[in-house]
Amino acid sequence: MKARAWFEPGAGLILLVLLALPWARHGMEATMWRQMLIQFPSWLIVGGLLAGAPLERWRPTLRAWNAHGVAGLTAASVVLGILMVPRVLDLALYRPEVEVAKLASLLWAGAALRVSFRPAGVILQSFFLGGILAMMATVGLLYQELPQRLCNAYLLDDQVRLGESLTGFAGLIAVAWMIHAGRVLSREGRERDAPIVAPEARR
Amino acid sequence: MLRTTILAAFFCACGLVVFNALTHGMQVFTDEGARRLAVALDPVVPPDVEVDGPAIARARLGELLGGSGQVTIVDFIYTHCTSACLTMSRSLQLIQLRLDAETDATGGDRVRLLSISFDGARDTPDVLARHAASWSTNPLRWHFVRVIDPAEQELLLRRLGVVVIPDGNGEYEHNAALLVFDADGRLVRIFDVEERQLALDYARHLASERAREEGS
Repeated sequence: MKARAWFEPGAGLILLVLLALPWARHGMEATMWRQMLIQFPSWLIVGGLLAGAPLERWRPTLRAWNAHGVAGLTAASVVLGILMVPRVLDLALYRPEVEVAKLASLLWAGAALRVSFRPAGVILQSFFLGGILAMMATVGLLYQELPQRLCNAYLLDDQVRLGESLTGFAGLIAVAWMIHAGRVLSREGRERDAPIVAPEARR
Repeated sequence: MLRTTILAAFFCACGLVVFNALTHGMQVFTDEGARRLAVALDPVVPPDVEVDGPAIARARLGELLGGSGQVTIVDFIYTHCTSACLTMSRSLQLIQLRLDAETDATGGDRVRLLSISFDGARDTPDVLARHAASWSTNPLRWHFVRVIDPAEQELLLRRLGVVVIPDGNGEYEHNAALLVFDADGRLVRIFDVEERQLALDYARHLASERAREEGS
């Protein structure tokens, strides 16, 4: 049982080592599209896996400092917001300390999301996603429309393609999210309304 | 909930500090913007690389830029270019037309133009000479050079923040811009290609200031 509990963080650790290898990093940073749409999500996921470690002793402390996941979602928003500044993509290529900070903050955001998303509940989740997805779509539109390159190290075609994908994914996530939230809310609504609707419960 | 609020506020504060540093206080969002701001705040002395070109047999870049007490507007090009360089060359051509029509009083004859090729292998002095002729350049005003040694070229591009990436079809994408060097040969300001008028006015301003200094 113990071994099974450590499966996720173990897998996370192995993936972390693989992703940190120079060829993996350089391959994922060869284009703007790969950097934002492959590297960012994979490091977020690894962060999430690592946060699956069964450190039960720390749960009460975490709950006290992260009630309803508010602190964690804030941290994730801050990290993702900063990483959308185009300058980061360029800087990470020729300043190793920026690259380390970028990857570490992605791990951190992934872990924060893992421990905070569920406790946040639908309303806080939608607040968080509303901010992030709107930002993603806006950045995506900018990347598509701007005639000049925002990153010196990448081609303009790459920027346009990334823009289209960012906008597209923001839309897809928003739709998926709305379906999920609709289900959760209607289930909660049924549970709450059930006794009121039933005639015998009124009497 | 208090502790959570404190922690969330702390994350926001950290984020603001990082964001502020990254964008130089919301002034720049791209690395190109940061490069231009850095140059404007702190002029860059280019490495003194060896160059050659039409009518220029092996010269030092430092002599070309700072030797004659003139202000220079520089662009980086390659002659096989079919896009950005054409716009830049057209900009320089228009600047040349304006300057040639001016008199000494406006500082016009103290501003020169220099196109530096970053494709030294293909852009030999002969190729550059043909290129210059096709743009009907005034050879006294507008010079074309390439950097002779590839390693020195790398150094020059890096120091001046010029990023050149091959697009796989024998062409390059590069951050096209007009670079203004003062009479001492330092890079003092970088302008967009579209900001031709600003670049010209700024170069003229530098030149006339220099003339006043020398006159007094």
